[in-house]
Parts: sequence; structure tokens; C-alpha cells
Amino acid sequence: MLGPDPSWYLVVAAILFSIGAFGVLLRRSPLVVLLSIEIMLNGANLALIGFSRVHGDHDGQIFALCVMAVAAAEAVVGLGIIVAMSRRRLTLDVDQFRALRG
Amino acid sequence: MGNFLVWVLWIAAAFACLGSGIAVVSFTNPFYSALALIGNLGSLAVLYLLASAEFLAAAQVLVYAGAVMVMFLFVIGYLGGRADAPFAGGPSWVAVGAVVVSAALLVEIVVVLGLKAGDALTPASDVEAAFGSPAEIGRVFLTDHLLAFEITSIVLLVAAIGGVILGTQTRAEAELDEAGAAQTVDGWRPDAGA
Amino acid sequence: MIQGAWLCLLAPLAGAFAITVMGDSIGRRTAGWIATLAVFAGFGGAVAALVGLLGHGEEEREYVSTAWTWLDTGSFQVGLNLVLDPLSATMMLIVTGVGGLIVLYSVGYMDGDDEERRYFAYMALFVFAMLLLVQGGNFLLLLAGWGLVGLASYLLIGFWHERPEAVAAAKKAFVMNAFGDATMALALFVLVWQTGSLAFAESFAGTEEMSSTALNLVALGLLGGAVAKSAQLPLHTWLPDAMEGPTPVSALIHAATMVTAGVYLICRAHPIFEAAPAIQDLAAGIGALTLVVAGLVALVQTDIKRVIAYSTMSQIGYMFLGAGLGAYGFAMFHLMTHAFFKALLFMAAGVVIHHLAGEQDIRQMGGLRRLMPFTFAAFLIGSLALVGIPPLSGFFSKDGILASALDAGAYGYLLFAAGLLGTLLTGLYTFRLFFVVWGGDPSPLVERHAGGGHGRQSERAASRAHGEPHGGEGPWTMLLPVGILAVLAVVGGWLQIPGVWHEFTHWLEPVAEPLVEPSLGQELLTSSLAVGFGLVGVAVAWLFYGARRREAPDARGVRDVLEHKFYFDELYDLAFYRPAVALSALWRRGIEEPLIGGSITGVTLGARRAGTLVGGAQTGYLRSYALAIGFGVVVLTVVFLAVR
Repeated sequence: MLGPDPSWYLVVAAILFSIGAFGVLLRRSPLVVLLSIEIMLNGANLALIGFSRVHGDHDGQIFALCVMAVAAAEAVVGLGIIVAMSRRRLTLDVDQFRALRG
Repeated sequence: MGNFLVWVLWIAAAFACLGSGIAVVSFTNPFYSALALIGNLGSLAVLYLLASAEFLAAAQVLVYAGAVMVMFLFVIGYLGGRADAPFAGGPSWVAVGAVVVSAALLVEIVVVLGLKAGDALTPASDVEAAFGSPAEIGRVFLTDHLLAFEITSIVLLVAAIGGVILGTQTRAEAELDEAGAAQTVDGWRPDAGA
Repeated sequence: MIQGAWLCLLAPLAGAFAITVMGDSIGRRTAGWIATLAVFAGFGGAVAALVGLLGHGEEEREYVSTAWTWLDTGSFQVGLNLVLDPLSATMMLIVTGVGGLIVLYSVGYMDGDDEERRYFAYMALFVFAMLLLVQGGNFLLLLAGWGLVGLASYLLIGFWHERPEAVAAAKKAFVMNAFGDATMALALFVLVWQTGSLAFAESFAGTEEMSSTALNLVALGLLGGAVAKSAQLPLHTWLPDAMEGPTPVSALIHAATMVTAGVYLICRAHPIFEAAPAIQDLAAGIGALTLVVAGLVALVQTDIKRVIAYSTMSQIGYMFLGAGLGAYGFAMFHLMTHAFFKALLFMAAGVVIHHLAGEQDIRQMGGLRRLMPFTFAAFLIGSLALVGIPPLSGFFSKDGILASALDAGAYGYLLFAAGLLGTLLTGLYTFRLFFVVWGGDPSPLVERHAGGGHGRQSERAASRAHGEPHGGEGPWTMLLPVGILAVLAVVGGWLQIPGVWHEFTHWLEPVAEPLVEPSLGQELLTSSLAVGFGLVGVAVAWLFYGARRREAPDARGVRDVLEHKFYFDELYDLAFYRPAVALSALWRRGIEEPLIGGSITGVTLGARRAGTLVGGAQTGYLRSYALAIGFGVVVLTVVFLAVR
């Protein structure tokens, strides 16, 4: 195959995933948290495509497609919640939602 | 020669991808974060192409960078006037923990892939030119993975309905809107929507 | 004939059911009339049964009618069967006859009470239960009736449930009776085990093959039930307290019928008792002891109903004496005449109480003679019959029992002596009551009620509304039964006249052949002695209380003992109640609170503390949860790597 081995794809995927996880854990704005989740999902997608290339099989790509659909669904619901929150004049800060504290 | 060009392209795409990812996480303005994410998705599409996943690359650009990100930007624009939450906050150990856990995840992924599956990952198998083409994907999707296809469609439908429900303004919320646009209620009130 | 028996049994039940079901839709008075009608319908059935029996030969007068078999376990079967023989017919007549009169009396007596319907439903239920007891063709039905009369008695003693004393008395009666019920049930278990049957005829036939130990156990258990139900020593303490119930209840349940069930049981189960002579002697001894002790206690009682209650115990002691000796005919005869004159006394006392707006203390009474001449006459007849003055009914029945004692050997002489002492006491306490209540000048209380009584029973709380006063001694519904019973108390004894005829004992002979047959000489001797002793008692009472020629002797120690009823209540309190309470307190402090309660509070406390501890981790920060999840993933990955 042309270009680098699939393992290089996986390295990029791993770093991307970690960046996304870092964003999810660190950011307080729910919007950015959602964006970070998208990065994590894309990291996973990249890894799936890499695996697909290793095996010469389409299954990984199909999986990635499904992940994209799920990501789209998640974005819709997540954004819907954010909009609803803003409608109720709640501060868009995940640290503010502490009703479950013990 | 072609191989060199591919390498250059790959390295450029990979760095763009990682750089835009860091940008998404680190920009304080969510609008810029979203724009950076579009760049991230675009550079990922290049990587997909290089891994002979043509259909996925196209879907990435159309569905993700196009539809989903437009939705994101729309929402961000809708909420535009609001002050954005700071980068970190809460207990300080959360920030420390975030760094530690994400670093640990990275290390573990590398370790797992490198130690346990490294041998199986190289070399890549030889594939036909048609590998990853829309026709092939469509054939596989509608034969071997028909169930996954249908379930995906249902997931999307449900998400669409959920979006509509969440986006619908209830009467109570409308009154709240009229009562005072500047007024902000802090904290979650379970009975606020009653 | 047998239809009559069924009618007799079921009519009161139907009455109780009807009153219960109709509830508020009928008037309070209507409920009383329904109950009266139902019981008298039962009386009609009993008369039909009697006529039917008389139409048959002496040896054929026993019929068992089975409605259906309601318990069928292998070889052991129990049917819903009635027995109709001279014994049950006699009891049916007494229960429904006297019972009907007393229910009629209640219509007047209870008039104006808030819960008349409940009262009459209970009364009808009681009559049904008593009939089930006496008509049941096997021991199980007898036990069912036995328990049901206990229930009805409990309900009626505690009828005025807002009075704590009434509730306590009801509870006491129930517990005491439950003790007897338990011994009886145990006896029946032994009987089933030994003979495999509870039907009278079969289990009696089976006694011949039983060991004497088993027989003694069965007889002792049955005697325990009889002693508790009939308020004999040592299970008698509930009866005086049971006077907290309405007076007609005392007349019906605690004088005429239920308390005599023990006598019926001994007569009914006489083959078992005859096969266990020691227990039989014990029964006679208990009767003799009770009649003396109760007679002594009656001397110092100041509550009109309690005097009569102790008198009832004493008279049932005579019946036990007779039944224990085997003089079944005389015991049953005394049961019948006693039902007449004791119900009469209670109801006459009820008229007095009614008239005096609920006052029961005889020290407040006096000089009622001129005020209530009719009741006075009735009370006099009842008292004379109770003392056994000829030709009133008590004379014939009591003397028969005593004469039988003379025919029973050395032990019999002892019992005879006790009986004679009893007649002396009877004369004394009966006429003490009589002279105090009726003789002398009207007391202030009586004066106040002279201008026509309140016409309202006010045994209930003082807050009871008083109705319109009426002239005379009481409503006709009260006076008519008193009159009828007065007549019966006079003529009831003439069924059996020594040396002339023995109709009653003869009538019962097919069921229970007497073991003793007093000769005419013995009867005459007894009669003269008993009447003599009775008259001495009356004369002494007259001296102290009638003519008040002399102060009643007042020996401090004796008086204390008697007023405390020989300390039975105190003894039981000390022997059972206090140890039980102390033990319970000990268990509570030693086991319940530290172990059971402690474990529960410990669990809740531990859960709460653990929750507080763990709850600290629930910061409420969404990101800390995400962090925890991420950390978990990291750890799990390490674990999987290490394990593989």
C-alpha cells in the first residue's frame, strides 16, 4: 500500500482519542464537551478504518459508518438538551448541575 | 514518486488533524472550537481516502463536516450572546485528573496496540482498486450487515424525534421567555418546567 | 319432630343474621322484636321436638339427624348432626324458653340504648350458640358451641365498651374460659386418638377399651372446661366481674344457661366420667367447695348483682355436686329450676336497677317494698325458691341433690355436710340482700326516685340521656317475663315430688342412668334438715338486717378475707400475671431491645453512616463522574492486560 503502514493510522487515532477525552474531562461548556466527544468518536473511526485496511475487509468501514450515524444522533440529542437548558435560563456550565451530589 | 507524495500528504493531514483537535479542546470560544472541528473532520477525510475508504471519506465530509457541524454552528449562533464557561474550574483535582487519565489512556492504547496486536497490523493486505468504493460498501451494507443498517436507521429516526421534542418550546418556557430575557436562573430546578 | 330441633337451632341464628344484615334499615325496637320472635320460634321448635319425643317409647327417645359430613379425614368423620334426646330437649326448652323471656325483658330494659341492634344480634347469636352446644351430636359441635357461647358472653359482658371495667371483665371472662376450652380441646384430642371418633355414642362405646390414664385425662380435660365455663373453683373469678354486662345478659348467660353448660357436659359425657371415678369425685368435691366458698363471699358483697352472681356460683356448685355423684336427673332438675328462679332474681334486680337509674349498691337501697310491690313479690318468690322453702321449686331440686349425697357413702356424708352448710349460707345471704333492699324505711336514693322511676336503664355511662319518666315499676315487656318466671319458680319444682312422682329423673333416665337413688326416708330427712338450716339462715338474716335487733358481727380478719373473695384474684395476679409481666419486661430489656431492636437500628444506622461516607464521593460535578469512568477504564485495561 502506498503511504505509511496502518499502525501509523492507529497512532494518530490514539492521540486523537486522548485529546478528545482530555477535552471532555476538562471543559465546562457543554457545547465544547460535545465537540470533544465528536473528536473521540472520530479517533475511534480512524482506528476502525485502519483495522479495515489491515484485514482487507469492509466490516470496519461499516462499523465506522454506524458510528457516524450514532454520532449524528448524539449530536442532535445533545444539542437539543443544550437548547432546552438555555431556554430555561440555566447557565451553560456542567459544574452547575450538581443536584446529584451526595 | 507517488509514494513520496502520499507520505507528504499523509503527514500533513495527520498533523492538521491533531492540531485542529487540540484547537477544539483549547479554544475558549465554542464558535472557534466548532470551526476547528470542521478542519479536524476534513483532514480526517484525507486520511480516510489514503486508507482506501473512499465512501467513508465522502460521508465524513457530507454528513459530518456538512450537516452535523452546520447544526452545531447554528446552535452556537443561537446561544451566541452568552458568556462561555471557563476552560477549567471546579475542584482542582478534576483538572489534574483529566490530564492524568487522558495521558494514561493514550499510553494504554499505544501499549495495547503495540504489544498485543503490533505483529498482526503490518503489513497491510493487498486490496483491489474497488475496495471501499460506494458500490462495495453498499453491497456489503445491504447484504451482510442489513440488520446493522436497519438499526442505524431506527436510531436516527429516534434521535430526530428526540430532537424535535427537546427543541419544542413548552408553554411554561414561553412564559419564562416573556417574563424576562435577561433573568438567569442558576442551578437546576426539577419543577421548573411544570 | 327432628324438624322442630332444626328450627330450634336455626331460628335464633336467622334472627341474629337478619338483625346484622338489616342494620340501620330497621328500628332499634324492631331489632328487639326480631330477636324475641326468633328465640320464641326456637321455643316452638323445641316444644314440637318435645311432643315428638313424648310420642315415642322411652327407649326410642334418641334421634341423631345429620345434615352433612363436614369433616372427612380418612377414618375420622364429623358430621353436622344434632342429637335429640330427653337431655337435649330439656336444655333446648330451658334455653329458648327462659332465653325468650329474657330477650323480651331486654326489649324494655335496653330501650333507649344507642346500640340496641348490636345487643339483640349478640343475644340471638348467644342463643344459637347455646343451642348448638346442647344439640350438637358430637363433641366437636359441642366444642364449637362451647367456644361460641364464650364469644357471645365476651361480646355481651363488654357490650358497654366505653366502660373500662366492662372491657376488662370481658377480657377476664374470655381468658378464663379459653383456659377451659383448651383443656377441653386437649381432652378431645386424646379421645380422638383413643377412640377414633367424636360422636357421642361411638366415643362412649370406645371408652371401654381405653386405659385408665387416658380416661382420667379425658375426664379431667372435660372437667376443666366445665369448671371454667360454670365458674367453679378455681376458675370462678370471671363470673362476678361479668356482672359489668347488662342485667338481662347476667340473667340469661351468667345465671340461667351458659354457666350451667358444665353441668350439661358432665351429664352428657357421663360414661366417660363414670369410667373415671376419681375425676367424678373431684367434680363433686369442687362443687361442694364452690358452694360453700361462694356462699361465704356472697355474705359481704354490696353490689346487688354480685350477690346474685355468687349465689349462682354456689347453686352451680350444688349441680356439680349432684352430677359428680351421678345424680344426673337431680342435677339437671336443679339446673332447670335454678334457671327459673335465678333469672327471676336477676330480672327483678334489673327492674330495681332500672328504677333507680343504674344504682347497684345495696347500701343505697332500702324500703323499696311499698314502692314496687310487684317486683317485691317476685323477688320474694325468687328468694324463697333459692333458699329452698317448700313448695317452691328450689326445695325439690336442691333437696334431691342433697339426698343423693346421703346415698353415696362416706364421701357423700362430707358432701352432704357441705351442702347443708350451703343451705344455711344461702338463707343468710339471700335474705340479707332481701331485707337490705326491700325492708326498712326508704333510703334517700329511693325517695328521690319515688315519683315514678326514670324508666331508663342507666347502668351505662352517667351521660346517657334520660328519657321520659313513666309511672309504675317498668314497661310491660319487663314485668311480664318477671311474672311468668315467678309462676315457673313456684310450680317448676312440682315435676318431681319425693314419694309421689319422679317425672323429671324418670324422663332423663334413658340418657343418663343415675348412679344413686335416694330412698324416701333419705329424702324426707334431707328435706327437713335443709329447710331447717335454710330457715335458720333466714332467721339470722332477719335478726341482723330485717329487724335490725342486733349489729351484724364484724370480725375484722374474716371480713377482710371475704371481701377479698378469699384472695383468688390477688393470688392469680401474684402467680401468673406478675411473673408474666416481669418475664416480659426481662425479655424486652434483655433480648428485644438490645438484640432485635438493636439489630434493626444498627442496620439503619450502619447504612446511614456508610451512605454518608460514600456520599462524599458524589460531588455532583459531572466531570468528576466522567473522570471516574475514565479512571475505571484505565484500571480495567490494566487488569485485562495483566490477567491475559
